[in-house]
Amino acid sequence: MWLQQVAQLAVAGVVNGSFYALLGVGFGIILGVTGRFHYAFALVFTLAAFVTSTLESAAGWPAALAAAAGLVVAALLGVAIERFIYRPLALFSGPLSLLTVFISSLGVTIAGVNLITLIWSAESRTLTLVPLISLQAGDVTFTSLDLFLVATTWALIAALALLLRATDLGRAIRAARGNPALARIMGTDPGRIYLVVFAIGSVLCGTAGILNGARFAVLPDMGDRPVVFAFVVAFLGGTHRSPFVIGIAGLFIGLVESLSGYWVTPQWTSLVVFTVLFAYLILHPLDLRALRTLVAAARLSTRRA
Amino acid sequence: MDYWFDILNLVLIFSIFTISLNLLVGYAGQVSVAHAAFGAIGGYIAAYLSAKADCGFWTVLATGTAGAGIVGVVMSLPALRLAPEYLVLLTIAVSSIVLTIVGAVPALGGAYGMVADRAADLSPLSGGELLFPHQWVLPLIGFTVFTYLVCHRMGESAFGRVLRGIRDDEVATRALGCNIFATKVVVFGLTSAFAGLAGVLLYFYNQIASPSVYGLNVSLKIFAMTIFGGLGNFAGSILGAAVLQLLQPMLEKIVRLDPGHAFLIQLVIYGLGLVVLVRVRPQGLLPEGASLWHWRRRPQATPATVVETDAPAISPAGASPSRGAGQMDETILKVRGLSKSFGGIHAVRGLDFDLSRGRITALVGPNGAGKTTVFNLLTGALTPDAGSIELLGENVRGLPPDRIARKGMVRSFQDVRLFSRMTAAENVMLGIHEAAAEFWRWPSGTRGGENLVDLFLRPGEARRVEERARTHALELLHLVGLASFAETPAGALSFGQQKLVSFARLLGTDADVLLLDEPASGIDSRWVDGILDLVAFMRDAGKTICIVEHSLHVVERLADTAIFMELGRITAQGTIAELTRDPRLAEVYFGTV
Repeated sequence: MWLQQVAQLAVAGVVNGSFYALLGVGFGIILGVTGRFHYAFALVFTLAAFVTSTLESAAGWPAALAAAAGLVVAALLGVAIERFIYRPLALFSGPLSLLTVFISSLGVTIAGVNLITLIWSAESRTLTLVPLISLQAGDVTFTSLDLFLVATTWALIAALALLLRATDLGRAIRAARGNPALARIMGTDPGRIYLVVFAIGSVLCGTAGILNGARFAVLPDMGDRPVVFAFVVAFLGGTHRSPFVIGIAGLFIGLVESLSGYWVTPQWTSLVVFTVLFAYLILHPLDLRALRTLVAAARLSTRRA
Repeated sequence: MDYWFDILNLVLIFSIFTISLNLLVGYAGQVSVAHAAFGAIGGYIAAYLSAKADCGFWTVLATGTAGAGIVGVVMSLPALRLAPEYLVLLTIAVSSIVLTIVGAVPALGGAYGMVADRAADLSPLSGGELLFPHQWVLPLIGFTVFTYLVCHRMGESAFGRVLRGIRDDEVATRALGCNIFATKVVVFGLTSAFAGLAGVLLYFYNQIASPSVYGLNVSLKIFAMTIFGGLGNFAGSILGAAVLQLLQPMLEKIVRLDPGHAFLIQLVIYGLGLVVLVRVRPQGLLPEGASLWHWRRRPQATPATVVETDAPAISPAGASPSRGAGQMDETILKVRGLSKSFGGIHAVRGLDFDLSRGRITALVGPNGAGKTTVFNLLTGALTPDAGSIELLGENVRGLPPDRIARKGMVRSFQDVRLFSRMTAAENVMLGIHEAAAEFWRWPSGTRGGENLVDLFLRPGEARRVEERARTHALELLHLVGLASFAETPAGALSFGQQKLVSFARLLGTDADVLLLDEPASGIDSRWVDGILDLVAFMRDAGKTICIVEHSLHVVERLADTAIFMELGRITAQGTIAELTRDPRLAEVYFGTV
């Protein structure tokens, strides 16, 4: 009996975790490459869902086309915010730019979310991506949408990993992430790379928003909580790491949140997540060093043997 | 009228939040987005105690403030070692934990919060119950002024100098003997306590404590107010709170809108206002050093132009003798078996050497020989794997850098690492500490404004110590020939001048052992002589000196003995003449001399 319950929770954890992974990867690549603390991630997330929902339910577009339009709008918004708000501000504010970009991002989000409410009203909207079918595997149930979400997420993460690893654009992005000054000398224009990165991050973010809208509802404040999870996952995974590492951090958060539901009531699960995060932050400078020494020692001893 | 009093009161309460947050972010450089959550701790303690324990206003206020302060201290412990972006994450986690707990515990009212059943009662002070906004104005002004005075006293003193040092360069601050961990714990605790105080006041003022009153978006708003007001400027914090708090009611009065959408449109304008304001004044309304009343500026905070002068006129004549009045040639530092490896790489292995008073020892060798690692090991920046470091007969291996510095061994950095936003005099003063062993000289273990007891309870003592430090700093700047640049921000000095200031700073620590990392590198040849004279003067004054230097000319002129390092080992020791005679060394390092 308990096994079935745990399995059910684990499946829910994988679904939520994949959602967090998508958010974390999108936020992580933006923060890692451009250094912008992009709080307006929440706005991109929400706008993509609203556009898709409007085109799909109100205008009667096919779901795939509506979602594509939503993603284009998301990418354009992300790129526009970088080009017309963050970049001039960062040039203007020098060493303070981390903080000023954060504040300005906050302002963009407040203005944008309320503008969305003005245009669309605060009413909850629906969005249907795939026909909702309940599936069964053993004693565990899940929906077709859950399956679609997990598949889309990991396909996108794999695509991004491939892009970063195997293409010229990807190499340029990694160069800009590692050493912007050197990348400039080597002939890549970091400004253009930043725009590309904002487009990529916004598409991932918009996808998460559309999926979230399809799972629950499309609401103006739907981005508030996900943006916090995007921070958490991106930092936990490390913004300079491969998308898979960040993705696994997201999966971990989702599983912790979901499985803790076996012991505690739902309103306490986020406490469990943040306590785990807190513990990680306390321990990680220590255990990472310890781990590295251990690995080095192991490697040395095998070499000697 | 009560409408405007209400706004004024909120500005005052938020000023308590922003002033204290500014001490944390603007002075100490510790970014926190959990300030409203600390307010929640204070507010909920107040709500619970007044409802369940029937405590009076002052008891509740004191408990709420102390409670938030204690949680702040607890949070500071993991925060000590974290980089700023991880600190943001940690404070988000703390905020979420606090809000989840208060929102999930039924005894605290869950998501609806706790409604107060009584008004704030100031008795035994006159004023009685505070029922209307206009009655709140005076008490709130009192609390805000109190917060301002305490934070201003801490920020603009020797204590604040340490905070700004931590903000600008933690490693260099530590290397000058400042106990940065204790200072951070204190500043986290105190600023959290002030947030708790503001939280208690917010509870009594709104008559409710609920998770939304202290939510993450409130923390972000306080953060925005503080940045927008200007980091490192408390008057700016009040101004920032006022402008952002007034933005909404002003819009309400000015823009006549369809009442159904008015609130949304105001928020849109508010958000855009934030974007525009931060774009127009990224330094904040009042940047560090700017004053609201005179528009007079302290020496420019940003490096303006490089002030270039002729070669330095070292004037050792009027210099004060150091405490190192011991016997020349006495062994001061004894290093035995010093080893350090990184993973499988042995950076330093089994080093044995002595340093003596009044002698200059040069550490030479090819790049990657481990010379700078030796300095890092000696000063505690790295922990040795094995070996002993005896400084004046006491083993200092494993002590943190600030303890080693206070015991009498300090280092300079190859890239000088001055605090560019501080004046030359402030840079030197940061290294001057008057040691005091009493346990209540807390948190720094030094006399004067660096410990809070002297700072707040013995202002005369704090002032005298500060004056002595300033006089001594000016003497030292005079010694290195930079007396006329005492009030110039270090960032506006040329590299050579910065090097000289860094020597004055080292002398200010009064340490016996000086480790100089490439003292003459990167400097105009006209200046090199002056710097070498200075190093020779320090030797004659009884200092024990070790230099890492690539220029053979410098080594030959200064060093009594040299230690030759290759791949982490000492391969030769002796006078320069002896080393240059060795054919193998001549080939691998000295070239054809």
